[in-house]
Amino acid sequence: MVPEARQRIVEATYACIARRGIAKTTVEDVAREAGLSRATVYRTFPGGRDELVDATVAWATFDFFAKLYDRIQGAASLEEVMERGIMFAHRSILEHEVLQRVMQTEPDKLLPALTVESNRIRAGIADVLAPYLVDRGLAQGVDLRDAADFLARMVLSYISAPGRWDLEDPEQVARLVRSELLAGVVVPAAGRR
Amino acid sequence: MVDEDTVVPLVAPALSGPAASERSDQSPHRVRIIDGTLACLARHGSAKTTVDDIARESGVSRATVYRAFPGGRDEILGAVVDTEMARLFSALGVRLGNADDLGTALVGGIVVASTRLRDHVALHFLVEHEPGIILGHLAFADSDRLLSIASKFTAPFLARWMSPDEAERVAEWAARIVLSYAIAPSTHLDPCDEADATRLVTTFMLPGIEALRSAASGPIDITPYPADGPAVDPGEEPVTAS
Repeated sequence: MVPEARQRIVEATYACIARRGIAKTTVEDVAREAGLSRATVYRTFPGGRDELVDATVAWATFDFFAKLYDRIQGAASLEEVMERGIMFAHRSILEHEVLQRVMQTEPDKLLPALTVESNRIRAGIADVLAPYLVDRGLAQGVDLRDAADFLARMVLSYISAPGRWDLEDPEQVARLVRSELLAGVVVPAAGRR
Repeated sequence: MVDEDTVVPLVAPALSGPAASERSDQSPHRVRIIDGTLACLARHGSAKTTVDDIARESGVSRATVYRAFPGGRDEILGAVVDTEMARLFSALGVRLGNADDLGTALVGGIVVASTRLRDHVALHFLVEHEPGIILGHLAFADSDRLLSIASKFTAPFLARWMSPDEAERVAEWAARIVLSYAIAPSTHLDPCDEADATRLVTTFMLPGIEALRSAASGPIDITPYPADGPAVDPGEEPVTAS
């Protein structure tokens, strides 16, 4: 399998879904958009549209993580990594027009793929945070795997449903990070408490 | 002691509004029909459950079902959701109301809510076979609504130990924790388990609540990350544990 074909098909699927949603996107549409034959699309994605949707969600997630890594590069502390990450991630979800539209119009078509993907996203966030946690030093008796998983769960929860928190406001995000997220996890930073 | 059965009627109207509470005493069959519907949902899901199925399962006639729920299937399903929420909240209320300290209240609340979600057969059938119905409420804006309902109900119990604003934040936080582990169970932490829930509360929640409260009671020395660009502060080095 030529990797470029796969990539081209996934990007074509995304373009089709962005234009007319999941239900109205057929394998033919995707093939036409990608400039490939229907047979090639089926050879690459034997599962047809369902597999295409899954692959597209996975691709969009990967794209999101790539941008997130860029965003947290050079952060000077664990707190700053989390502040930058949460603000960026929340904004990305809010401003993701395709995600928002499909969630409004065809949630049942998107949610299964999104649920599978959210497990991977959670593991991804935990992997990003773990080295920062080790660097910073965990509070007494806190297990690294427990802490990274807990933080990933909470981050995922806040960025998709902020509840009472205004994640556009840097001061609120700073307060959130230092209370519900990190207070029990790491040793307090000198001069911060 | 607070009794669970006495709490249900108090909670249900609060969830569905006055219209439902006016109706709620009209038919003695309502609870029976709701429980019959739950059994149908647990077996066949929502799409395949008809009013006939519900009548048969509940052991009443079709006419009785419609007398109790003139709106038919949709009204019954709405009542099922309200009733199950009310049952969950009254179980929570009992546990929270009887707790002597904040830690016990949080552990009890998390264990009760997590266990009820874990053991809810109809809920699991729907998540598995008709994900759009349930998962839609757990994502994005609808999830916000669910968190808000959960925190509004549980916050008053926590306000014994903190201000109403703090209590609502903490209640919302606990609801997030319960939902997160219910949607995606963890292999190494089971919130239905008293010991695991205690570890969760004492390790992560109690210090977090203390930090929330000290931040609220006065200015806190924080250096928030500016919204419009990456923070460049060469003087700030990562602090490592010593």
